[in-house]
Amino acid sequence: MVQSAQFAHSLEGWFGFLPLWGWAAVSALLVIYMLALPFGGLATYIERKIAADIQDRIGPNRVGPIGIFQFAADAIKMLSKEDFVPKGGDRFLFNLAPLFVVVGSCTAFAVLPLSKYLIGADVNIGVIFILAVTTLIAPGLLLGSWASENKWSLLGGLRAASQIVSYEIPVALSILPVVLISGSLQIGQIVEQQGWTVFGENPATYHFWNAFHNPFTFFSMFLLFVGGLAETNRIPFDLPEAESELVSGFNTEFSGMRFGLYALGEFCDVFVMSAMVTALYLGGWHIPFLDIEKLGFALPTGLVAFIQFHMFMIKTLLVVFVVMWLRWTLPRLRVDQLMGMCWKGLLPLAFFNVLGTAVWMWVFKGQSLMQLLAGHG
Amino acid sequence: MNHLVEFSASLQGYLAVGAVLFSLGIFCVLTRKNAIGILLGIELILNAAGINFVAFSKFRTGLIDGQMVALFIMLIAAAEAAVALAVILRFYRLKQTIDADEASIMRN
Amino acid sequence: MNKVLLLAEILTVASAFVVGLHPNILYASVFLLFTFCGVAVMFLYAGADFLAGAQVIIYVGGVTILILFAIMLTQWLYKIKLADIRNKMLLPGFLAIAVGTFLYRALHQMVAVLPPQTPEALEKFTSTPKTALIGQALLGGYLLPFEAITILLLGAMVGAVWLARPE
Repeated sequence: MVQSAQFAHSLEGWFGFLPLWGWAAVSALLVIYMLALPFGGLATYIERKIAADIQDRIGPNRVGPIGIFQFAADAIKMLSKEDFVPKGGDRFLFNLAPLFVVVGSCTAFAVLPLSKYLIGADVNIGVIFILAVTTLIAPGLLLGSWASENKWSLLGGLRAASQIVSYEIPVALSILPVVLISGSLQIGQIVEQQGWTVFGENPATYHFWNAFHNPFTFFSMFLLFVGGLAETNRIPFDLPEAESELVSGFNTEFSGMRFGLYALGEFCDVFVMSAMVTALYLGGWHIPFLDIEKLGFALPTGLVAFIQFHMFMIKTLLVVFVVMWLRWTLPRLRVDQLMGMCWKGLLPLAFFNVLGTAVWMWVFKGQSLMQLLAGHG
Repeated sequence: MNHLVEFSASLQGYLAVGAVLFSLGIFCVLTRKNAIGILLGIELILNAAGINFVAFSKFRTGLIDGQMVALFIMLIAAAEAAVALAVILRFYRLKQTIDADEASIMRN
Repeated sequence: MNKVLLLAEILTVASAFVVGLHPNILYASVFLLFTFCGVAVMFLYAGADFLAGAQVIIYVGGVTILILFAIMLTQWLYKIKLADIRNKMLLPGFLAIAVGTFLYRALHQMVAVLPPQTPEALEKFTSTPKTALIGQALLGGYLLPFEAITILLLGAMVGAVWLARPE
């Protein structure tokens, strides 16, 4: 928050009419409206284009130059559909359920470290805040499936909620090694300590990207990625919204903008999970081996923020691309295979990683592989 | 209006919210026939106790012990909710209802 | 700034009223979820940042899901009406109000007995991050309750899985 406050203060000459907490609120809202919602919309288009590439066809190419306005056409179509509630369904819960998903995913955008100077709200409990806020998605799925008055929706919703709740544990345990290494829950701190530069002096606590800190964190990154796939109901953990089995799972009866909100929430959640993998393991907004603030000549803060933001987005979008790539590559897991993999596979591995990281920190006194190599070399 | 804002941010405000939640929890436990409804009341009561502990920790002692107790309350509430719901599921398999009045096998 | 706290307290109390009085048990559970969120915001303003996060994760992500699962697994087959309020609400209402007032007055006595904090101390308390302190306490003075809780949670997990096993 300190860096954001400094950045906000530098803008105060232009817009000095808001107090500091007003700027905090505005910055959090800006991130949600300028980043989360456009991404959610464009992600539908990107997914269809990636699917088309993998399946050797063209994909949307009518609306706009390369079909890029397809998401706007979809949104207009959804908004113009009839607003109905299934007969016997619960109107209040039917309306409320998609809101849980959207609120749960979009609130997490406020703590994403887009750049050293562009964190909406760098709270003390950053990592726990993201975990807490993304658990708001599960009641949304359950209530939506109940309010649909449809047995298959209910089955899909129960499976979805149990999957999300089960996979939260490996996700939380995969975040724990990073917290052990950085000694802080603040995401800004965690990312800042991943800045290793070969062109100057490194402070004692800085190490290269957390994924390469020790072999256990390398493994944890993949566990976090897999857990994130399961949390967001993406293939191969796609059974709750399986197209061929449960009609469309828990969102069968949702049409029009309500379905649009579900899809938006899911894509925003994919972004949040990818951003977590990037920020916690892949160095966030750091350029590898280079620190652009210590180049010898001072760059303006805006330019630094710009470059760092683009680095963060490149890494996050690469992870999102892998998520979408997997969707059209892997088959779907059965529900018993899914739950078995969580409780009998990922959970013991996650425990093992936490233990391994703790032992590494004790044996090597907290140094990463890069620091050990630099110390000896 | 300012008095209300001042009151809400003071110790008395937190205690008042805790007391209201506690009495609503008791009302819920005493009134509901549904066994899960009784569990809702119990969760309200436990939350009210947690609010009280945290409020005293901030406004009077300045130590972290109040928050430790509130943390343990949360953990115990989670464990108790899990076991209570397992018992309710068992009871439902036995009697096909979760009316608390039907749990009277040992009476007479 | 404190208007947000007032709003959170009003939201908590209003949701708790719906939990206590609504005949439909599913609506009561949803408003219990809102109550938990309101309590989490109140924790944030009382300097309990880690506790607020833990409240949302444990209660909203755990207990509420459990309750919703139990409701859906025990009600959906038979389509029975979800109304369960008795006709006789007078005596429980009186009892609840009496107990609540008595507890508030009793705690109010404690408010006068203990010495209040200075505003600087309050500010310092609210702004220090508590996660490190909680961690040190868990492995320090509160080690015995910590170990006891782990045994309790293990027993609860095993007991719940055993009780709910399929036949």
